[in-house]
Amino acid sequence: MIEARGLTKRYGSRLAVDDLNFTVRPGMVTGFLGPNGAGKSTTMRLILGLDRPTTGTVTVDGRTHRRAASPMHEVGALLDARAVHGGRSARSHLLCLAQTNGIAARRVDEVLGIVGLSDVARKRSKGFSLGMSQRLGVAAALLGDPQVLMFDEPVNGLDPEGILWIRTLMRSLAAEGRVVFVSSHLMSEMENTADHLIVVGKGRLVADCSMAEFIARGSGTAVVVETPAPEVLARAVTGAGGSVTSEGSEGSEGWRLRVHGLSEAEVGAVAFAAGVPLHHLAAARVSLEQAFMELTADSVEYHAALPVA
Amino acid sequence: MATVTAGVSRPQASPVLSVRGGIAGTLRSELTKIRSVRSTYWTMILLVLAGVGWAIADCAGEAAHWAQTAPLDKANFDATQSSVVGLALIGQLMIVMLGAIVMTSEYGTGMMRTSLSVMPRRGVLYCVKAAVLTAVMLGVSLVTSFASFFVGQYLLRSTHETATLSQPGVLTAVLLTACFVTVSGLLAYALGAILRSTAGAISAAFALLFLLPQLARALPSTWYADMVRWLPGGVVVSTITATKAASAVPHMFSAWGEFAVLGGYAAVLLIIGALLFSRRDA
Repeated sequence: MIEARGLTKRYGSRLAVDDLNFTVRPGMVTGFLGPNGAGKSTTMRLILGLDRPTTGTVTVDGRTHRRAASPMHEVGALLDARAVHGGRSARSHLLCLAQTNGIAARRVDEVLGIVGLSDVARKRSKGFSLGMSQRLGVAAALLGDPQVLMFDEPVNGLDPEGILWIRTLMRSLAAEGRVVFVSSHLMSEMENTADHLIVVGKGRLVADCSMAEFIARGSGTAVVVETPAPEVLARAVTGAGGSVTSEGSEGSEGWRLRVHGLSEAEVGAVAFAAGVPLHHLAAARVSLEQAFMELTADSVEYHAALPVA
Repeated sequence: MATVTAGVSRPQASPVLSVRGGIAGTLRSELTKIRSVRSTYWTMILLVLAGVGWAIADCAGEAAHWAQTAPLDKANFDATQSSVVGLALIGQLMIVMLGAIVMTSEYGTGMMRTSLSVMPRRGVLYCVKAAVLTAVMLGVSLVTSFASFFVGQYLLRSTHETATLSQPGVLTAVLLTACFVTVSGLLAYALGAILRSTAGAISAAFALLFLLPQLARALPSTWYADMVRWLPGGVVVSTITATKAASAVPHMFSAWGEFAVLGGYAAVLLIIGALLFSRRDA
């Protein structure tokens, strides 16, 4: 379990992480979402004890990582896949990490097999593709059979097969009861992977909720209808306990309205009872991406100065 | 696609890291690190070539010109210094690179973040790294020093002015040369920890060991005479390799004294490096 309490990190005048409080629980994949520069990587570095918090604490199983009794067994992390000495072979790289924690060389060969790098184990990692480097980074994270796994933007630069592989891996690690904490700046990556979300913007906590809650919050229960008789329908919907907002545009077949508080079936029944013809009736699916963008719109670090044509 | 079996084969050992276990494991790890990159081999090969190569060139040259050498020069000729001073002088250049790279390559590649997250006890990592580096440097320097000495004496045999290890000061000079080179490497290691950049650390080490003593020559001669013995490099290489009064440099401490001066610089830098290493954000 990862617990951040009042976690704050200031670099000079820049507040990278601002009073974060969250708990990352075992047995599920927790997505750590935020736009670029929101403080995700900084938070992960603080968890690993690479940087010291300005104030507040972050602990793994109740201890700061610097005091970990068995660091690699407690946390395995993939922060930056390219952060290896390129002149060292994959196997030597993993071996020198394993030896610090008294992990046997047998385990090195085992994780090389798990990530599918056995064939290039003795090749210098300089020549590895980004996908292979990511796999090497995952191998390093798995070495100590850790209870807590952290991945910083793990799918960056991966091909579709690699993305599927890492998703499956994260899900199975969580299914084994581990803590899986994975950062991303893209909601779409989290959609099929994460069970829980921690959303940050400008170093501050924006949301900490389950994926289901986030979806519900984002999409609501809006239904989009198109009708040539908007006033009649609006009156009927309001009478049935719903509310209506205009979509503002006159469609080819009539007015486009957004109905809140009623299901598609209920809107259909209300329209039928009121004798209003409908040309279109569909649940409005606000994409998670949209919900995420709305949530973090105020906290995006770098806005484009000019709209992109 | 590789099947995911991360949890199927759990390692039996999930060892708790005691301080002693941490040191032993980190020792093995650092040995693996230093042995598994090419830069270690080429800097060490260059060190051996520089030391032995100098001995060959200098001693073979002396032997070839011995007939034309003036009697006074013959009397003052220091066979020990001729054979090992090259290691002290050029070996410093080579060893500084290894010492710096061992530390700075981890910063340059980002490997340091991984190293520190698997071994968060920074003091242990810093000291063990330095110890492994020292062992490698001292081993190679000692072999090179003795090899240079014996090769040099072999080439000088026609002059009948060769030195033997049993003569006064000779063994000290050969040993001290190896130690002097090793401590120069440690000084560069400390600079690497302080500056965290390969180019920066090597430049700083060169400035301290070569440029500073050269600049000091521009000082008024009385100031220079007072100051030169406190500098870490430059003519120090002559002092520590000298076995005759005539081959020694004026205004200097003894060989051991000059070695202690370099050691003092290295110790101060190593302590600053250790403090920064354990306190700074990685």
